[in-house]
Parts: sequence; C-alpha cells; structure tokens
Amino acid sequence: MYNSAVRGKLIDGDKSFSQISKDILAPIHAKTPLWWYAAMLVSLGMFGFGLYCKYITVSTGIGTWGVNNSVAWGWAIINFVWWIGIGHAGTAFSIFLLILRQKWRTAINRAAEAMTVVAVFCASLFPLLHMGRPWLFFFIFPYPNTRGPLWVNFNSPLFWDFVAISAYLLISASFWYFGMVPDFATIRDTAKSKIKKAVYGFFAFGWTGSSREWLRFEGLSFVLGGIAAVLVVSVHSIVSTDFAVSVQAGWHTTIFPPYFVIGAIFSGFAMVLTLVITMRGLYKMNDFITDRHVDAVCRILIFISLIMGTAYMTEIFIAWYSASEYETYMFFKNRLFGDYAFQFWAMFTANAVIPQLFWFKAVRKRMWIVFIISIIINIGMWFERFNIVVTTLSRDYLPAAWANYSPTYVEIGFFVGTLGMFLAGVLLFFRYIPMIAISELKSVAKFDKPNNGQLKAKSHE
Amino acid sequence: MSKKYILGVFDDEATLVDAFEKLKDKGVMPVEVYTPYPVHEILEGMPIKTRITHAAFFYGLFAALGILGFLTYAASISWPLHYGGKPFNAFPSFIVVTIVATILAITLLTLFTFSARAKIFPGKKAEIFHEQATDDKFVMVFDEAGIANDSESVKSILTEHGKIE
Repeated sequence: MYNSAVRGKLIDGDKSFSQISKDILAPIHAKTPLWWYAAMLVSLGMFGFGLYCKYITVSTGIGTWGVNNSVAWGWAIINFVWWIGIGHAGTAFSIFLLILRQKWRTAINRAAEAMTVVAVFCASLFPLLHMGRPWLFFFIFPYPNTRGPLWVNFNSPLFWDFVAISAYLLISASFWYFGMVPDFATIRDTAKSKIKKAVYGFFAFGWTGSSREWLRFEGLSFVLGGIAAVLVVSVHSIVSTDFAVSVQAGWHTTIFPPYFVIGAIFSGFAMVLTLVITMRGLYKMNDFITDRHVDAVCRILIFISLIMGTAYMTEIFIAWYSASEYETYMFFKNRLFGDYAFQFWAMFTANAVIPQLFWFKAVRKRMWIVFIISIIINIGMWFERFNIVVTTLSRDYLPAAWANYSPTYVEIGFFVGTLGMFLAGVLLFFRYIPMIAISELKSVAKFDKPNNGQLKAKSHE
Repeated sequence: MSKKYILGVFDDEATLVDAFEKLKDKGVMPVEVYTPYPVHEILEGMPIKTRITHAAFFYGLFAALGILGFLTYAASISWPLHYGGKPFNAFPSFIVVTIVATILAITLLTLFTFSARAKIFPGKKAEIFHEQATDDKFVMVFDEAGIANDSESVKSILTEHGKIE
C-alpha cells in the first residue's frame, strides 16, 4: 500500500480520469507553439553542423580529429560513455523504482525512457565513426563470412560493448514503445481530427484495453522489467571493461564496473531532472510532476553523489595503498596536479560537492537552482569521462610516448551534432507523444482518494 | 456485429469491481472487460490466464544454451585463434555476451509472443465497444444470448453501480 504520509499526494488537483487524459494530451491536441519551432530550428542547425563534421570524418578520416598515437581515444569515447550514462536513467527509473514499489515513478518514467532511447542512439554513433571505416562496421557481427569464416574476438570488451549497446538500444526502445501502446489508444479514442485518429490508431496496434490484453501486457512488463534490470547493471559494467581490462594505470581497477554504473545512473537522473523541470516549465505539468517528485529525485541524487565521492576517494586511496609507482604517479601527480588538474577538480566539485546542496530543503524547492545543479552534474560527469580517458592515455608507462590532447572543431562539431539530435528528439517527444504514462498514472490516482477509492477496504498491493 | 451485447459502463474501479464480484457470485461472467488501466481484481477474476512468463523462461533457457554453444563452437572448433595466449574455449569471457544476447533474445521473442497472443500488432483495426474505455470509463461486455436466463438480475446489478448502454 502506498503510504501517502511520507511523500504526500501523487497528483495534485483531485483530477478525474478524463481530466488526467485531457491534461497530458493537451500539448498533442493544441497548436504547436512558436517557441517549439524556434527550438527545433536551433537543434536542427546543431544537428546539421554535426552532419557536416561527420561528413568530414568519413570523407577525410580520423586524422581530422585531435587524437594522436598516445591519446587515441579523445572526445569520441568521452562522449560515447557520457551519452550511454545518460541513457541509463530511463531504464533505471522504470525498473529500479518499479522493484522498490515507488509509485511516484509513474509521472516521470515515460520521459526518462524517451531520453534513454535518444541518448543511446547518440552514443552509438561515436564508436561507429571512430572505427575509421564505418562502412565496414558489419565486420563486427559474428556472421558466417568468406574470410574463413573468421569469427570476431569474443574475448574482447569492444565486442562485448557492441553486443551490449545494440541490445540496449533495441530493448529500451521496445520497452518504451510497448508502454505507450495503451496511451496511443487513448489518443486515438479522444482525438477529434481524422488524421490523428488514423495515425495514432495505427501506432496503437489495435489496443482496446480488454482484460485479455491487460493480463498479457502485465506479464510482458514483468518479464521485460525483470530482465532489463540485469541489463542496466551489465551494459555499463561492460562499458567499464573497455577500460578496466586494459593494463593502463588508472584504468586497471576492479572498482570500475560499480563506479561506472553508479556514475551512469547519477548523470541519467540529473538529465531526468533537467528534462522534467523543462516539462513543468513549458507545459505546466506541475500537477503531475509535483514539487515532491523533484524533491524525491534530489534526495536520490544526494545519495548517489556521496557514492561518487566515496568512489573518487577510494581510487586515490588505493593508488597510494597499492604502492604501485605508476598508479601513485597517475593519481597524485597527473590527475590531481597535472596538465589536466582542472578537469579533475571540476569533476570532483561538480559531482561530489555541489550536489550536497540538496541537503537543504530551501535548495530542493527552488526549481531554477535544482535545474542549474542538474546541468552542473551533467557537465561534471562529462569531465569525469575526460579525466579517465585523457589523463591515463596522455601519460603512459613510457615518457617518450607522452602527449597531450585537445579536440579539433570536427570533434566538437560531432558532439554538438549529437546534442542537437538529442534536443530535436526531446522536442518531437514533447509534441507528439504523451510525455507522461497516462494509463499508469490513472492506476495510481486512486491512492490519493480519501477512502482509497474503494468501496470495501481491500488492497492488492 | 451480428451478436447482441449488453454494456455495463462504470465510472471508477471500485464500482466496477463490486459489480463484477456480485455477478461472479451469481455465476455470470462478462465476455470481456475494458478498462483504462489494469484492474487486478478483474484480471484475477476473469477466466483467463497467461503463460507468457513461462514462455519467457524457456526462451531464455534455449537462447542461453544456443548462444554459449555458438561461441564455444566458433572460438574453439570452427576457427581457433590465439588471442594473447588465452585458451580457445575461454568460458569466463563468453559469459558476458551470453547474458546480454540472452536478454535480447528473451525480450524480442516475448514481445512477438505478446503480439501474437494478445493480438496487438501494427495495422490491426481496434474493435471498440465503448469509445471512452481507454479514457475514463470501465466497461463490462455481456453476450445477450449468454445471460438470457438471468438477464433481469444482471441488469439490476449493473444499474445499481453504473449504467447500461
């Protein structure tokens, strides 16, 4: 049973079921606002610039990037890990909060899942183009071929990564889509225009809400939710093995899988906050995404931020405790005070120090401060990946091979392009898809009613 | 539709469940119940069940065996290659791919099973009994011929809690 004394009501304004549908679908049925076109134009501009940079990368080659023989993984891998991390929140939100029976997730999970799909898609572009000859990317599939058949190296974390990301993209997209089917049916049945009825009717796949459909739908959600929970943990663990399986100082550590998974959830939750605060601001969804929802996410962020701080300290401590000359150099000379000390301290401040402001209720209830901190966390998480990738590669075992790294405009443009793609995806989501899971929200609406909306005292929680 | 149906339309979950249970005590079952969100009393009370979770388990079992078998075959029988002195059959490093690919197989196969069994697929035309069943109404559908014997009592229970359309 949902204990409303702890978190208060889930939906403000004592709404009827039809009011819930109407409020959430309002942006879909309304006229497209002018700012939407303006924002779309900006994001498409960014996207276009990214396309141009991708064109340069493919037509000329990786030489147009700032990477060199020592620092072979520059912004491409930093941004790849960053986007994948952001992409983790959707599934983490849906699954972990589902397992923990947190009913407030219903207002946020749709947005988080949408974010996941777009972010993972952005992420997958980076390794693809980093291959240098992306038109031969299918070589990484283990398919019977005329080269032997020469199979791919199943021991390589890079192959694991490929499997993990393609699986994650497919699974999070289908999880998200099937969650939307009942809501598409709601749009189909409430829409006035014929075109909308036809289009959403097609995407609703003939959903009617019969008990036979719901029963199997629940079974499906149970199965997908259960196994996707494993996936959340495993995908970013696999990403971390890209680093941890190598024998580089600062990478070759057993803390990496949990550290990466937690970091991913951290940046993902921060991005969720950015997104839902935008939804509240632009579409007046305050009754559904209440101050209490934002408050709950902030509290989770305090906790994860403490774990992040602990992980940073652990790495530094173990570098000293291991008495390894290379590890000690990497952390105490290179990361803390080396050429990239700024990135290290930016990461530490943004991820472990600033989120501690969420301890104060005055901070948690001021949306613009929460919004700014959520952006700071995302920047901090970007610096974390920069710190991991670049400091280690720029100072390896052989001083003769030491080299510094700075990106070229092509790499920056590539990143800006994915930001534009993400923004465009989010804008399309705002405009054409119910941004809150309507049917799930209705199923928790009864918990706000005084007698729990039941004639008899009966619970099935 | 050639058959004649009676629709009981309710405004909320509580009245629907109450009417459903009263009718069930009388031995009358609706042909189908349409709700805006899953109502567990109905799902448990209706004479339907799903084996989708069992199916998923077997998909997973066979997928895991198949994938692990393929990796072992490819790496140690079909074209063995030395990678840094590791054994050909490097079982521990096959675990990762096996887990992730199994999850992918379970997801896709379960989705197709759901699509086939619940008959939810692209291009299907919805058979809508009541326009608001996906919005704010809870609808019970009865086959008029099926309840001919006690149609009066059914109707009285329905009107007590909701209305008949």
